[in-house]
Amino acid sequence: MKKNNLTDAEKFSLVRREAIYTGLALAGLIIFWLVAGFGTASLDVKIFHLPLWAVLGSIGVWIFAICASFILSRKLFKDIDLGGDGDE
Amino acid sequence: MNEQGSFAALLPLIIFMVVMVGISIFVRHKQAGKNFVSNYFIGNRELGGFILAMTTVATYSSVSSFVGGPGMAFQIGFGWIYMAVVQVTAIFLVLGIFGKRVALLARKLNAVTVVDIIRARFQSDFLAAIAAFVIVLFFCGTMTAQFVGGAKLFAAVTGTGYTYETGLILFGLVVVIYTSIGGFRAVAITDTCCALIMMVGIILLLHYVLQAGGGYENIMTSIETNHPEMLEPFSFGNMPWTIYFTQWLLVGICTIALPQSVVRGISYKNTHGLHSAMLIGTVVVGFMNIGINFTGILAHGVLTGGVADYGGVDNIIPTTIVTVMPKELVGFAIIGPLAASISTISGLLIVASSAIVKDVYLHYKEKNNQPVESSRLKFLSMATTAIIGAAVFVIALTPPSLIWLINMFAFGGLETAFFWTLLLGLFWRRANKLGALLSMAGGTIIYCATQAAGFKILNLHQITIGITVSLILFLIGSYFGKSSDKKTLDIFFPS
Repeated sequence: MKKNNLTDAEKFSLVRREAIYTGLALAGLIIFWLVAGFGTASLDVKIFHLPLWAVLGSIGVWIFAICASFILSRKLFKDIDLGGDGDE
Repeated sequence: MNEQGSFAALLPLIIFMVVMVGISIFVRHKQAGKNFVSNYFIGNRELGGFILAMTTVATYSSVSSFVGGPGMAFQIGFGWIYMAVVQVTAIFLVLGIFGKRVALLARKLNAVTVVDIIRARFQSDFLAAIAAFVIVLFFCGTMTAQFVGGAKLFAAVTGTGYTYETGLILFGLVVVIYTSIGGFRAVAITDTCCALIMMVGIILLLHYVLQAGGGYENIMTSIETNHPEMLEPFSFGNMPWTIYFTQWLLVGICTIALPQSVVRGISYKNTHGLHSAMLIGTVVVGFMNIGINFTGILAHGVLTGGVADYGGVDNIIPTTIVTVMPKELVGFAIIGPLAASISTISGLLIVASSAIVKDVYLHYKEKNNQPVESSRLKFLSMATTAIIGAAVFVIALTPPSLIWLINMFAFGGLETAFFWTLLLGLFWRRANKLGALLSMAGGTIIYCATQAAGFKILNLHQITIGITVSLILFLIGSYFGKSSDKKTLDIFFPS
């Protein structure tokens, strides 16, 4: 596990930045949720007997959330030493 | 279902509960000799990513998610899934926003509970006492709803052979016992088992619903013909925008401040585990939410009447289980929803116990330089857990009506009390004691008062009033009150 040797202040700054990234991911998800569901509700398109809005507004939102979690946890978040035994 | 059949149906549940107790005893044995308080209340900060994800999801997913929710989906249609899917944010939000910050602070402060962190941030025993009180009060409400929901499901599925009380004793008492014995680590591991069982239960039920309903195409064609409103997001007026809006707050955004979720941030081993938990948790919570609610909709393939014909939305899933599952699998099928119930109870029980033992009793003793013997602490911790559990068990023996409302009331109360206190307290230097006190006490009182009076604005759930008042009071207090001292700010906002 790769961990940077950060000072306390740097760790808290990093954690603050990561919290902001998470908030932005939430904002993105809310927009996607609105567009995917309400935004496509008037379209007469069906997938597997389901209206498009129902597919995008459920499975689509779930996949979006998984992608957001992946980007956050694997790309944007950094491993840091929390100071406990598990980090030794 | 005859007596013999009923016992056969009961056997998987009995085996499951015995395994839960066995895990608890094993964990207790393995943890002997370690720091008791840290071990009992947060599992010595040793949780890995998978268990962290599963315990957070299982505590969050209650019996309402498995019984009331899909029952509503049966009635409303895909609009309900569209609303429920906002819960996919629950895990990555709480772990992404609070996970690392809480973990860093807990290690710095040697904190074991969320209240420990609140006390240190705002330097107020009074605020900590209010926080502990709010936790115990609303957790008892939520736990009662879980006990009642689980026991009703049990009685409905096992038929005439066993009563509501039998169910309550069988799973209710057992969950109190195993939580009391094993503490947080046992809760986390048993939660993981529960979450896995929930997923298997959903897959099994979905399979048999599809089979009994003549296949997916057949069921969907029937829904298109007979229930066109189910394919419309507002369900022809049954699903107004106000429900979407308030559910985003109640089961989406504001859940980041639920103490039972935030405390998971104190309990994990390292950040690698946290990152994995964010991803795994999001996959699992989405699967459960969409899976069980979709099953509720597809139940139209086997239940041809309306909701009223089956005695209300809470009876849709139990009736579906009894109708479509082979008799030998019915007992296994009810473990899923009951697992949702017991995993929530155990998660709440251990946090409520820590609020009394650690946040009130132990803090008082430490403040007065009165050491507490380890053996006494062990006894008190286990006894407190058992007493809270037993008290809720007794309340559940005379089941209150409107379980769903009790659950949502408690959710809203906890969110009103903790949302701004935690979010602004941990990320805003200017947040101070007066702001937090006004926000937590004032917001919660207003929330409860509006609930009691049935007062709403724009027909929105009272969480909107509670959370708004709580924010206004926090800001007023923070601008007019005294700033936190430099020593505290250096700990929480090092520069």
